[in-house]
Amino acid sequence: MKLAYVCATSTNPYENIAMEEYLTFHTKQDGCILFLWQNENTVVIGKNQNAFRECKVSKLTEAGGRLARRLSGGGAVFHDLGNLNFTFCVRKEQYDVDRQLQVIVEALKEFGLTVEKSGRNDLQIDGKKFSGNAYYASGEYAYHHGTIMIDVNETSLMDYLTVSAAKLVAKGVDSVRSRVVNLNSLNRKITVERVKEAMLAAFCKVYGETAEPYVFSDTAKEEIKKRAEFFASEEWLVGNQKQLSIVFEHRFPWGEVSVQMETQGDRICDVNVYTDALDDTLAERIEQRLRGCRYQKDALLENGNLENNEERDVIVWISALL
Amino acid sequence: MSTPTELKYSKTHEWVKEEGDVMVIGLTDFAQNELGDLVFVNLPEEGDEVEAGEAFGDVESVKAVSDVISPVSGEVCAINEDLLDNPAAINEDAYGAWLIKVKNVSDSEELMDASEYDKFCESEK
Repeated sequence: MKLAYVCATSTNPYENIAMEEYLTFHTKQDGCILFLWQNENTVVIGKNQNAFRECKVSKLTEAGGRLARRLSGGGAVFHDLGNLNFTFCVRKEQYDVDRQLQVIVEALKEFGLTVEKSGRNDLQIDGKKFSGNAYYASGEYAYHHGTIMIDVNETSLMDYLTVSAAKLVAKGVDSVRSRVVNLNSLNRKITVERVKEAMLAAFCKVYGETAEPYVFSDTAKEEIKKRAEFFASEEWLVGNQKQLSIVFEHRFPWGEVSVQMETQGDRICDVNVYTDALDDTLAERIEQRLRGCRYQKDALLENGNLENNEERDVIVWISALL
Repeated sequence: MSTPTELKYSKTHEWVKEEGDVMVIGLTDFAQNELGDLVFVNLPEEGDEVEAGEAFGDVESVKAVSDVISPVSGEVCAINEDLLDNPAAINEDAYGAWLIKVKNVSDSEELMDASEYDKFCESEK
């Protein structure tokens, strides 16, 4: 096989996702390209996920973070510069998840770590996950990519990835912190740079070949730039598809409230409010206020006066979740 | 499951059924078996143009997204909306669970008949 590698110089998720796509569709028969990349403060959601349900979009962007959608499936992850991403770009006939994962296993052996595969998608050490993996295939092209947590800020991870209260209840509140592990907490010598070097060495070892740096032509750079714009667009991030409904429930001192919303694009297109509050027009007023509003913190707060106390409680509470 | 002889097949594992001027497109049983349990289906909208060899939608199984490649060029005249709520129908009956119907067909990929497709699948294993 002919091996090539790319270490990204950008930490912009849209550029990196565009480069990953380009490499995937330009992998030669009998070739394999290893792409190593990092995103600065980014929540990356799966191809078919609802951005608003998976991530506090407003909170993230207010803090200068970015929301990105990848081509592969699965769930939302938080990336910062303590995380290293890898992508194996191959043709379908060369696609071999076990061999690809072996590269990570070999790389971390260098640091005295023993990696276990868990289920189909995770890599663990001592029962704690440090790497999540996902896959994309299109015709004869495919990629397998994943994260490697080296020194990720776990507070941010919790802050931005908090899913809706309803979903947490449904799945049982299982703290992310207790399940994941940063590699550098297991071995202080581990840094992102060292893992990169170890990955490249292990890549050559597992495939029994040497790897050349991949060279991008000017046309390639242009194409990647154009696709990066698409991956940053509202069309790709939010889309116009009918999104899944979002349910919020909360008990206030004056009563219980349940809000069910449907979003279309970035707007709330349908909303039902249920409450046992004494004020019998409250539910209707909140519904009116939310219907058609942009699903965004400031838009919710600015949409009309908030004179009534109960109404204000509910709107402030919903906007704090975003 | 035996491969229906009245259908044609693409190398990327889609099936095509001719219904007069309309082509019905779905995923083969081999494809659904390789993908595993499907949890999501993305389809184009009626009126969209599809192009032979290009993706028109995708299906998602456990963390894997696979594009569905159109075997023909033309205009989407119907989509199977039931699949949006029940992607598992493809796993249960791949040849019954069609994805889209295409009219004004202007171009087609090279397609295989059932016995050629069976041999092709053997070589893919």
